[in-house]
Amino acid sequence: MTPVLSVRDYTLDYLTGGAALRVLDGISLEVRPGEVLGLVGESGSGKSSLALAIMRHLPKNARETVGALRLGDLDLTAARPKELTRIRGRRIGMVFQDPSTSLNPTLTIGAQLTEVLRLHRGLDRAGAEAEALDLLGRVELNDPAAILKRYPHEISGGEKQRVVIAGAFGCRPEFLIFDEPTTALDVITGARILELFARLRAETGVAALYISHDLALVSRVADRVAVLKKGRLVEEASAADIFVRPKHPDTKALVDAVPRPERRLVGDRSSDEVLLSVERIEVTYGRKKLFRPAPKPSTRAVGFEVRRGEILGVVGESGSGKSSIARALTGLVDYTGAIRLDGRPIAGAAAMDRDYRRAVQIVFQHPDSSLNPRQRVGEILSRPLKLFGGDLAEIPKLLERVRLPAAYAERWPHQLSGGEKQRVAIARAFAARPALVVCDEITAPLDVSVQAQIIELLLDLRRHTGTAYLFITHDLNLVRQIAHRVAVMRRGELFDLLAVDELGGDHVHPYTRALIAASPIPVG
Amino acid sequence: MSFGWLLGRSASIVYTILVVSILVFGITQVLPADAAVTLLGENATPEALAAVRTRLGLDDPYWLQYLHWIGRVVVGDFGTSMRTGQPVGPEMFAALGRSLILAVSAILLMLVVAVPLGMAAALNQGRFADTATSLVSFVGIAFPEFVTATLLALVFADTLQWLPATGWVAPGESAGGFLSHLALPALTASVVLVAHVVRMVRSETLDVLHSDYIRAARLKGVPEGRVLVGHALRNALLPVVTIVALDVGYLLGGIIVIEEIFAIPGIGRQLMVAITARDLPSIQAGALIMAATYALTNTLADMAYTVLDKRIRYD
Amino acid sequence: MTDLVGRLLRTPQGAIGCTLILLLAVACVAGPWIAPKDPEAIDFLGRFRPIGAENWLGADQLGRDVFSRLLVGARSTVPMALAATLLGTVVGAVVGTTSAHLGGRLDEAIMRTIDAVMAVPGLLLALLLVGTLGNGSGNAVIAIAVAFAPGMARVTRSVALAVRNQEYVKAAVARGEGGAWIVFREMLPNVMAPVVIEATIRVAFAVMLFATLSFLGLGAQPPSPEWGLMVAEARQYVHQAPWVLIAPSLAIALTAIAFNLVGDGLRDALNPRHER
Repeated sequence: MTPVLSVRDYTLDYLTGGAALRVLDGISLEVRPGEVLGLVGESGSGKSSLALAIMRHLPKNARETVGALRLGDLDLTAARPKELTRIRGRRIGMVFQDPSTSLNPTLTIGAQLTEVLRLHRGLDRAGAEAEALDLLGRVELNDPAAILKRYPHEISGGEKQRVVIAGAFGCRPEFLIFDEPTTALDVITGARILELFARLRAETGVAALYISHDLALVSRVADRVAVLKKGRLVEEASAADIFVRPKHPDTKALVDAVPRPERRLVGDRSSDEVLLSVERIEVTYGRKKLFRPAPKPSTRAVGFEVRRGEILGVVGESGSGKSSIARALTGLVDYTGAIRLDGRPIAGAAAMDRDYRRAVQIVFQHPDSSLNPRQRVGEILSRPLKLFGGDLAEIPKLLERVRLPAAYAERWPHQLSGGEKQRVAIARAFAARPALVVCDEITAPLDVSVQAQIIELLLDLRRHTGTAYLFITHDLNLVRQIAHRVAVMRRGELFDLLAVDELGGDHVHPYTRALIAASPIPVG
Repeated sequence: MSFGWLLGRSASIVYTILVVSILVFGITQVLPADAAVTLLGENATPEALAAVRTRLGLDDPYWLQYLHWIGRVVVGDFGTSMRTGQPVGPEMFAALGRSLILAVSAILLMLVVAVPLGMAAALNQGRFADTATSLVSFVGIAFPEFVTATLLALVFADTLQWLPATGWVAPGESAGGFLSHLALPALTASVVLVAHVVRMVRSETLDVLHSDYIRAARLKGVPEGRVLVGHALRNALLPVVTIVALDVGYLLGGIIVIEEIFAIPGIGRQLMVAITARDLPSIQAGALIMAATYALTNTLADMAYTVLDKRIRYD
Repeated sequence: MTDLVGRLLRTPQGAIGCTLILLLAVACVAGPWIAPKDPEAIDFLGRFRPIGAENWLGADQLGRDVFSRLLVGARSTVPMALAATLLGTVVGAVVGTTSAHLGGRLDEAIMRTIDAVMAVPGLLLALLLVGTLGNGSGNAVIAIAVAFAPGMARVTRSVALAVRNQEYVKAAVARGEGGAWIVFREMLPNVMAPVVIEATIRVAFAVMLFATLSFLGLGAQPPSPEWGLMVAEARQYVHQAPWVLIAPSLAIALTAIAFNLVGDGLRDALNPRHER
């Protein structure tokens, strides 16, 4: 049987400043009819370049040296631009990462859907509209007729991605490329999109390439999984095998780095002594403007305690108010309600004295913006030492504790990688010898392997210092590996606050249950 | 565009005019010119001067003078010109009409030239056409109006004698005369605008062409021509509305110089004459009307933008 | 800093712009000494002498050497524009940073007022001020500075607001750093770059504005060889001697181009991601 897509010994370079940078190196793979091949790799592994190469949409500085790309019997590398417009959308469909940018903001959903149907299937206006209605129904959108008339900004992110998927299936293509279709969506929305994909796949029997950085997710949607690292294909195996019997060391490392709730990384129990207590805290951004209603608070009467040396996980989707809690605790926004540190009440952001600010430190999400680009690493680390009493001679030791060479004190932030920057930010927090470190999505922008290293570092630092963490994340599996207790937030409210082993129990909130169900756990 | 939004915008226009009126009144009150002397001449008797001062309210405190002035402005009375003895209002608004004809022609001329040029440059990014356009716009932006005007007049009026060097003919009088007198001033006013807008259109078009939804359209197999016209054009041109509106401020400044050089009886020339003659009521009225025109233009542009761009709803 | 200059000179705009500005600087500093002739020397036999060996850029209605007048005139034009921009930038930067720092209602009130002031075209504001203060170069400088300040305040404020939202500033706030440290050590170094770029480009406009004021008879006064004034004086003799008009016109344009080029080059040098 001829494969739907075959890639043979494909090699691709990008020319940058006269030098050739190898992006893909001798890639060979096949997707057979009705099969879904998962393509997994970290950022810079070349997985998106392969998708663009198949779609024949490479940047101008790309050079294809050797290799073949075939769609059925057709040689894609030899296709002319005119042929390509007949292949794209009709024979190969594509679903993109971010539905909010892949739809044209100034055209209605209907215009964007019917355009392709009329172009590729030769339908007339009325026929295309009827077909579009049918397609929207098949991707389980309520009231398709109304959605056709709307603009992209008038529907939610999940609905947009359904529209994109409807368009991709619309011309009944023989092959589909999914490029991280759930990464930009919330966990539960993403899980629903995956269910939809599984159903449509069963209905149509389409072959697909599913690209993702998330090995656990890919192993659930794909039949086979190919692992890409720095432009090379390191391993290809069935989805069932890849987690159980990874052969290549790179795959093993990747598998080990995937957070799995059953593999606990923290063995101890936290003490019962309360370190910090938060009572009925509310944060409101902005203020009432003329002619406009007053803004709603982004957290509503949230209360919890952090015990000495405890890791308290805070989980929630974007907009759940979890970052507002972090900002309130560190005095970045004002709040109403009460915070107590060691029993001592703190009335508001203005009342946070040096002792409190030393004891409660924060590490932010974006490594690129959390270090001042005009200060060297040494100067960045010297500030907490000067403010909270410490010896500047400690800087090399601090760097060593976050496993960076002491010579890094002389470096500028732009000379560091994302993971290294995050280590410096962690060192800056620990320079104050804190009792509690607030970690606000600190691993979200990092690759899983880097994330695993950062987590290991945090746990190591905690072993030596006894520091408690308020660990804020959207990744429930990660939290279940490390936290003693988990708080679940949604729309500014605290839904659940449980010990981590109670999460599977019966008395958890239905939302928490949905969240657990939506977090893909690796098979095997 | 909800009622609240319109109310907010109206309040902001009123505030703008209030601030500008205080600013203009403040600056002009410090003018080292005695209005009474300006009216009666150097040889007037002290008694006559004192009588005029009392009549004009010049002995009142500044804030009271301001309130008197702004109170009259609100009902449409801009005072009497010290130079001509005529009411300032009608004269200024007639002049504003002529200036607006010039300004609108300059903007139309600019749009016709700058939009296709900017898009062509973006589509040929990095090639000769792009570099040439960038170079020309770089040079164009560096020519102040008085230089452009003088050089254009040197070529088209003095050397080639195709167009008249100065003057104004009302459109009702003679259409040919109107257009030939308008050509050089409008061309002058559009040069810097073209240079600026070409660069803006180019970068907006590039942004749109590099956007995800254009890539998505291409990867859906939409032919390139349709991608450009159906998907890119509208999105690239939307921000230009705002840019043009902001450039109106620059244009109004340039018009002062252009009207002076080409002897066009517009509001800019009225202002220059008034400043030279230290004719306070005319200066105040002219400056206030110009600023109000600019504030109104920007509000209109914002409204146009809301109508064109469905994403933004001011609510 | 040396790193930045190196990167600036590696951009084509930066290299050309810097060369032009260097030439201008030489003219401003050493103009009277390197001028081939006395710029004030009147020579009735040489009236309207065309471009040639005697007068490199020709002679004007009084037989004065146009090239020498341009060289000497550089110092009556360029330093004035620089001074006006510097003054306007400093005032604007202080107002903008303060407004961003104050935040809330005060910030909104300040910005609304600045928007309102910006409804008066820059040239008109400058004209009104010169009309009040009296004609002359010094007053023109003040007028241009006042006309520029609101725009610079807006730019500075928006940059400062963007920087204030960076996580390193939040980290400093969370750490309990003092206001002075946050403003001067964390924010200011990062606000400077975009403000300097904007100011550089505005020097070009200041040159044009200053020349315009002189052209209208409100800036430099005769017999100064200020370039705008030279254009104004040459207009009535344009039939006999177009070069007397063209030479200073091009000098003004070239100066404006030079500062635009450097501003553009600085933008590229400071923001390597913006490669296009």
